[in-house]
Amino acid sequence: MVRLLLRFLFTALCAVLLLFPLQVSAAENSFIDEIQQRGFLKVGLPPYNTPPAYYLEPGSEDLQGYDVDLATGLAEKLGVDIQFDRSSTSFNDLVQRVGADDFDIAIGKLGLTYKRLFDAFPIQYLSFRHALLADRSFISSLGTDPDDPKFGDVLRNAKMRVGSIENSTWETESRANFPNAEFIGFKNWSSAKKALTNHDAKSDGLKIDAIYRDATEIKPIVYEKPVLSLKFVPILFDDIIDRKSIYLSEKGRVGFSDFLDNYLKREWGGIKSDKNILDDFQAFYLPSDS
Amino acid sequence: MTAANQSGKSIYQWIFSILPLLRKPRNFFFYILPFSIILGRFIPTSTAAAFNDAGVAMVQIIAFPAIPLVLTAVMISIANIFSVSERSREDRFRFSSRFVVSLSIALLFGSVLALLLSLYQAPGVLSPDAKLSIGRFMLDVTDIRVGEIPIVESTVKGLWITSIIPSNIFADASSGQTLKVISGSILAGLAISRLKRDLTQPLITLLRSVNTISVQLLYIVLNLAPLVLICLIAGAVSTINAEIVVALLNFTICVFLTAVASLGVSRLVFRRFTSSRERAGLNVNPVDSVFLLSLSTGSSMTAYPLMFQTLKSMGRDVSEVEASASLSLLIARLGNVTYNVIAIVFALNLYEVALTPFRLAEVAALGIVTGISAAGLTGVATVPTIAVALLYFQVPAPPVLVLLLAIDPILTLPRAATTGVLAMSISVISSVRSSPASDSNPSNTNLGLLAQSSEGSAFEGG
Repeated sequence: MVRLLLRFLFTALCAVLLLFPLQVSAAENSFIDEIQQRGFLKVGLPPYNTPPAYYLEPGSEDLQGYDVDLATGLAEKLGVDIQFDRSSTSFNDLVQRVGADDFDIAIGKLGLTYKRLFDAFPIQYLSFRHALLADRSFISSLGTDPDDPKFGDVLRNAKMRVGSIENSTWETESRANFPNAEFIGFKNWSSAKKALTNHDAKSDGLKIDAIYRDATEIKPIVYEKPVLSLKFVPILFDDIIDRKSIYLSEKGRVGFSDFLDNYLKREWGGIKSDKNILDDFQAFYLPSDS
Repeated sequence: MTAANQSGKSIYQWIFSILPLLRKPRNFFFYILPFSIILGRFIPTSTAAAFNDAGVAMVQIIAFPAIPLVLTAVMISIANIFSVSERSREDRFRFSSRFVVSLSIALLFGSVLALLLSLYQAPGVLSPDAKLSIGRFMLDVTDIRVGEIPIVESTVKGLWITSIIPSNIFADASSGQTLKVISGSILAGLAISRLKRDLTQPLITLLRSVNTISVQLLYIVLNLAPLVLICLIAGAVSTINAEIVVALLNFTICVFLTAVASLGVSRLVFRRFTSSRERAGLNVNPVDSVFLLSLSTGSSMTAYPLMFQTLKSMGRDVSEVEASASLSLLIARLGNVTYNVIAIVFALNLYEVALTPFRLAEVAALGIVTGISAAGLTGVATVPTIAVALLYFQVPAPPVLVLLLAIDPILTLPRAATTGVLAMSISVISSVRSSPASDSNPSNTNLGLLAQSSEGSAFEGG
């Protein structure tokens, strides 16, 4: 009788163990499981400061910005900590590294180009218009009124010197969108801005006619220093959109794209335009008093 | 019910009796201007558009009799002046040559005067604070959008010469093509002058009737002028950027100085080209009245009946006065010529373009051409005419136009005053005293214009 009772208890225990696994919280998704086992989300960020997207708070090592907040929110949803890696040498290097599984995700206003699609898998979260900040004298020299519908074609085919960050999506886009323009690459965005607005003919050599990036980078230049509006004009391309994306590796695309997509829809509020960003982060873009 | 009707009637009567009084220039300065500014400070910005729309609608009503008035006045006067049977070849040549010469001199004078004042006042040479104010104002406003469906028509249009050839005088009149109406009327007037009187008399009678009705209509709708000014000034004060007005103070002063200098020169011309006998019956200097009336209404055309009535009462040849006054007011647009010269200098200074003697001559010439191209346009619509000149100098036009348009509600007043007084000068120089014989000839003098002495007295000096 006792043996029979023990047998019954053993069988029941086995059945319970089979029906209810011990580690109920462990993920079935191996990509997410790996992150949770590790205890932190590895995020690749560009090696630049681009407020309000991602930047180091002056005088500290604290990373701030909406890209940083987005990544932190993802980590919270995963129930893990976060670790940022800013050791990539350029935007293109960052995308290549996430494709090689150096990080779980790469974020930081990364544009979408054919070349980057060779290396990694994008999930769009921002939609920014391409923009130029151009010298007004150069625009006048084109001889076409900016209100004229032909102005767009005249500008795109103009012979001009366009500056932006080297080895960035803007170099690729410049060659595609302005076939007759000469692209001048700069180490960072500050150097490009300086080349346009503080050009010294004696020491800086040839002057560039415009700098090229998205609307959220071009508009703040005149917001910060309104006096520049007299000599320079923002040109916004409503028909050339930069699909800013978070990049994943192949493993990440299989294991994390649905999670990321759901997070972007529910927590981030869908794909945001440059207008949304300019409105949401007015404090960064409001004109300064000086 | 009857008492309510009577009180309603009395309010209407009171309004319609007070409006002509408010139209007097001194009432503009003492009552309308201060009231409008105070009203503009208190009304919410959201209602400014409604005030502006109401003002623009009333301006449209005031401008409504302008086309038939111009069409008939020019046609009748040209027909009379160039009539082979009524005037000698010498008379015709004298009027034509005096008018063309005085018009050319006035254009040249206006342009040079504006140029000299611009060089002295240096509009566009701005302090760092003024540049910052302008930069702030331009944020977002002057951005260029590529790839969107254009909403605003191009501000740059062809030169004025292409817009003066008439196609169909009635179609031109109905579409508000004033320059084409003028050129068509001149040609029609010349044709009438070549025909026998009995053939043209029915048409001339009809034209006179239309002219008389148009003048009467102008008097009626001019009663709205105080309301127009209240709506436009209050709307402008509510929305205008005071920082921009301060930043462009030099430019504003320069435009007002040009108007005052034009007034001074016109007074001299009036004194030099009229006899003491002609001036004997005048209590007030009519040039002052024309200046104040144009300034207070913002429209030089409103001074036309006053100019006509004054010169007619002085015994000037009615046809010559009618032709010279209407043509100089509408074609020469001297206020726009002076304004455009100052605006071009402003833009060149703003973009640090060196002002060489040759370039100054180009500015003067382009100021005249673009100023004349404003013929037929009114108010703020005249400002974009300088875009052609700015493109010629390869100076960015959109930011300059944005700035000029921002302060135009103020500057449209001295611009109209300059046009009025210099047109008066042209009319004084080109018209002569009518002979006693022609004075007694009703076909020459009684064109039905301003026959109502009681209405005419509503204008000071009229």
